[in-house]
This record gives sequence, C-alpha cells and structure tokens, in this order.
Amino acid sequence: MATRLQFENNCEVGVFSKLTNAYCLVAIGGSESFYSIFETELADVIPVVKTSIGGTRIIGRLCAGNKNGLLLPHNTTDQELQHLRNSLPDSVVVQRIEERLSALGNVIACNDHVALAHTDLDRETEELIADVLGVEVFRQTIAGNILVGSYCALSNRGGLVHPHTSIEDLDELSTLLQIPLVAGTVNRGSEVIAAGMTVNDWTAFCGSDTTATELSVIESVFKLREAQPSAIVDEMRKSLIDSYV
Amino acid sequence: MTPNVKRPRRKLVARPVTFSPFARSAAHLASAYMIKRQMIENKLHESCQHTPNGKCCGQRNIDETDSDSDEESSEGVVQADFAFFDPKPDDFHGVKTLVQTFLDNEEWNLSGFVDLILEQTTVGTVVKLEDEDDDGLFSVVTALNLGRYKASDIYMQLALELDHKCMKELEEYILSVCHESNLVEQLRLLFSKRARDVGLLVSQRVVNLPPQLLPPLYDALFDEVSWAVEDEPTEELRNSFRFKTYLIVTKIYKHKKANGKLEKKADNEEEPVIYVKAEDELFHELSSWSFSFPLKIQHVTSSEASIYLLIFNNILCPRTLPSFSFFTLIFLFGTLRANTKAPVTVPSAVSYNVNLLVSAEELRINGVGYGSRSRQNPHIPTAVALSDRR
Repeated sequence: MATRLQFENNCEVGVFSKLTNAYCLVAIGGSESFYSIFETELADVIPVVKTSIGGTRIIGRLCAGNKNGLLLPHNTTDQELQHLRNSLPDSVVVQRIEERLSALGNVIACNDHVALAHTDLDRETEELIADVLGVEVFRQTIAGNILVGSYCALSNRGGLVHPHTSIEDLDELSTLLQIPLVAGTVNRGSEVIAAGMTVNDWTAFCGSDTTATELSVIESVFKLREAQPSAIVDEMRKSLIDSYV
Repeated sequence: MTPNVKRPRRKLVARPVTFSPFARSAAHLASAYMIKRQMIENKLHESCQHTPNGKCCGQRNIDETDSDSDEESSEGVVQADFAFFDPKPDDFHGVKTLVQTFLDNEEWNLSGFVDLILEQTTVGTVVKLEDEDDDGLFSVVTALNLGRYKASDIYMQLALELDHKCMKELEEYILSVCHESNLVEQLRLLFSKRARDVGLLVSQRVVNLPPQLLPPLYDALFDEVSWAVEDEPTEELRNSFRFKTYLIVTKIYKHKKANGKLEKKADNEEEPVIYVKAEDELFHELSSWSFSFPLKIQHVTSSEASIYLLIFNNILCPRTLPSFSFFTLIFLFGTLRANTKAPVTVPSAVSYNVNLLVSAEELRINGVGYGSRSRQNPHIPTAVALSDRR
C-alpha cells in the first residue's frame, strides 16, 4: 500500500529516507510523526534506522542500497558508519566508497537484481556496486538525464521513470531491467521521481502532494495492492509485460 | 473572457473615477489601450521608475553595460522583463516554494493554503518573466478573506474540514505565538466575529526582486480588490472583498541587544530593526497594532547581517478603516492619484495623518526606488542572504 506523508512540510520524502526490502533509513530531526509513519507500516518486518550521512539529512540521495548491501559516500563519518553497521542486519554489507560523484542516491538506481549507473561513474565504483549490492550494472540514461538515480524509482516488481521517457527508451530499459516500467510523475507533477517517493516490494511512501491518479499509477506498477511482506521472498521472475502504456 | 491573458498592471496615468457600469467599462478600455501603448513605448525594464508625475526617472544603466556577458563577471547584469499574471493552477510549485516558511517551520496544510491562493484568480498576482514558457515564479501577492473559509453551519463544517483546515491551522498558530494577552483577545475577535472583514495579505517574493516592481505590484493588488467589490458575480463574493482590516504576517530582523551590555561605538549606526521587505516598515508604522515573536528556523546569514541574530516574525494589523480611505493610505507607495470620493466620512484625525504621510512620502518617491525612510539604500534585503539550509 502506498502512504502519503511529508517531512517538515516538505513533500520530497525520497530525499529524507531510503527504503529497501531489508531495512529502512530515516533522517534525524524530522517530527516524530514522520518516523512513526514508517514504523507503523514496517512494524516488525524490517528495522527502521534513524541516521545522518556526513552530518546531513539528505540521506536518501547520498546512499544507494538494496537488501544485499548499502553504499555510502566518502564524506560519511566514522560514527555514522559504525552506527549503520550496528543497526542493520548482518546480511547487509555496509561499505563506504571513494567516488567523485558522491551523491550515490542520484547516480545509482537499483533493486535487488539490477542497477542503473551514471555514465561517468568510475570503473572501480561499478565493480564495487556489482560486488556489494550483488547486481548487474548498466550504464544508462533516462530521458536524456544522466542522473539515473533521481529520475526513476525501482523495486523488484516494477519501476516508475521520468515522464518524458520515450516509448523506445521505456522498452529498452524494461528489457534490461526485466520489470514493467511506466513513465509518470509524483508530488503533483514533479519529474524527480526518486526524490518524491521511496519504494520496496510491498510498500511505498510518497509526498503528500501526490494526487490520487499518481498514487494509483504507483500502486499498479509496483503491484502494491496485493503485496504482503511475508510473501516476498524469492519470486520467480516471470517474463512480464515489457511496458505499460 | 480569456482567463490566462497577461494583464500588465503598470498604471501610468490616473484613472478617472467612475460610478456607472458603462463609464467603468469605457474607462477599462481606455486604460487598457493606454497601457498597451505605454508598453510598446517603454519596455518593462527593471530600471524604469515612474514618479507621480508620470515621468520616467532614474534610468539606471542596467541594460546597457555587459548585458550579454555571463554572470561570471561581478559587473555582469542580467536583463529581465517581468510581467504580472493572474494566479493559475500551474503555479502551484512556485507559489508553494515562496510560501514555504510562511508559518515558520510549523507543519500545516501548506498545499491547501496554496490551492486557496491559486483558486482566487480575481484578486492576486504572480510575478514571472515575460516569456510565457518560463515557470519560475518570483513573487506572489494576494489578499484572502478569512471569513470566507469558515463554515456557517455543521454541514459546511464537515465539508470544509478537509479543504480549508489550513486557515484554521493558520489562525491557531497565530493565536499560539501571540504572547500579549490583550492582543490575543483582539485576534480572537478578528478570527471569529469580524472574520468577514479581515483580509490576510500574503506577499512573498525572492529576496533580490527589483524594488521598482513593488509599487505597481501593490497598486495592482488594491485595484483588484476594489474591482472585485464591484465586479464579482455574487453578492457574497462582492462583500467578501470589502476588507476593513488587513492582517500581515512577515519576517523582520531585530538587533540582538543583550540587556545591559554596552554597545560598541561602531554599533551606533546599526538599527534596531531590519525589514526584509521594504514595505513592511511602512506597514508597521501605519498599523493599528503589531506584535513580534521569535522564529524557530535558523537562517544562514551573511557576515553583514550577522549581528542581527534574532529573527522575529511580525504580525501587523493595519488601521481599521472603511475600505476606501484605506486605499488612500496605500497610494502613497505608488503613483499618487486623485483621491477617490469615499462615501463614508473619514474621521478628521485620520485624514490629517493620511495627508501628512502622503506629503512625506512624495519627497521620497522621487529617490532611488521607494526605499524605506531611514535609509537611502533599498538594497538592504539583498545584503541579507537567507537560506533555509542548516
């Protein structure tokens, strides 16, 4: 189910949080209601961890992760790194990487099987992504934008991309990622999808400006309506429809 | 009627007072034609300043030097043509950004509030670049009637509950930050019994908006209010614009003088209060009463303004007057024009004050911009760099 919420009057919830199938990171300093909405939804299924990265609250855009691992930028402090290592499940590999493009959340979009990367990413970083996150990495652009992490939101069951993505691009990406993709907006017409929402296999959190239409598109492409957390273990990826229109 | 037509509102010539509908429509046409002609003659440059006499004065060389250079050179200036538009639903994101810190960092139904502003197309102006494709919003000015969004009975209350709770939250916030007990009572009255006569004046803009735009902007607002009083389709709407009182919520900087500490000699020049928006100083002086309270948001300031550490929010309540005479007050910011004949007699004491203020301001309007009284430098707002980042 998709939930609408805001962080201190700001609808960009994907900036202040990071949601995966194994854990959820939330920025500190928000009101308790922000934190508690995550807790209510995610309850005992996955840990909800309050943290900062490099002293900032924009954790969703600085880190990239999935159920296998979490990548942190070079400006993460040692205390934050330690805190994350302690709070996250042992199966999650937490790694700090030296990369010039330090907003990893903006340059990497990933789910548990595949990742899209910024075209100018270091070769070493690409290898690290493949190792730590256990994914196959593709250098791609979305609607001509190289910040792939900002303009799409991916889960294992579907993806939402920039509204101006052409049909050919949609087809190509869908084939690469092996999931259905839809071009749409979030937060009442905002094109920066990943900043406006965060999603995993059974739930999504969107900014409170998201219209009902946008919400229904999100719920249908990510298949949130019938999803139960316990049912998502390792599904066989069927050959799905390549793209919705 | 074409709703999205751009209506530049720079009134350069006094409009005749009209009472009959025919004369009014004739005057509308005449002024529209005048404006169009004037637009072709003087392009809406930032540098153009209009005095009460209708002459163009103070042409700064902004558009001549380095107009094609990049922003890299410190002397580089950018030429921009601003235009005034009616609020449209598309302006949602721009207006929301400007109104983000309206109530400090309070969590309230901000989107609902922005929707209310955009719904009211008859009164309200947004400032954008003249090129219609640009979405960047530089300023929004509007006046919302507080009583309009109140439920008159329980059914309306349920219906309005979701949409207009932003106004309720606004009122509750204002009541909660007011620490002066006598004023709290007055505020309560304003929000309940007298809500139908109260207009909330919302005026937000980017910090470095050229001050030359402000007189026409405020002129436009009050013109629209007076037009709405006559032109709105229903009786109720017409009455809702007969504001007797305006309520303004704004930000100022107050000098942090620790009590008992001696001020350094150098600080003699410093002023106790800096107004982020120049017109606030005038509003403050004209207001019936006001109060201030500390803000919780931390602003990052430049070194010049670093001594002004405490930031206060000021809630002003301008003089309660019959609406026409209030218009004569407001005219002192912009082009002076013939006084409208008020059907209600204005108390003589008030008109005396009005005349005094008007004459004092006449002198200053001829200066650079319409800066505040005590300072010649209208650019103080740009020296204060505001940022909401920590």
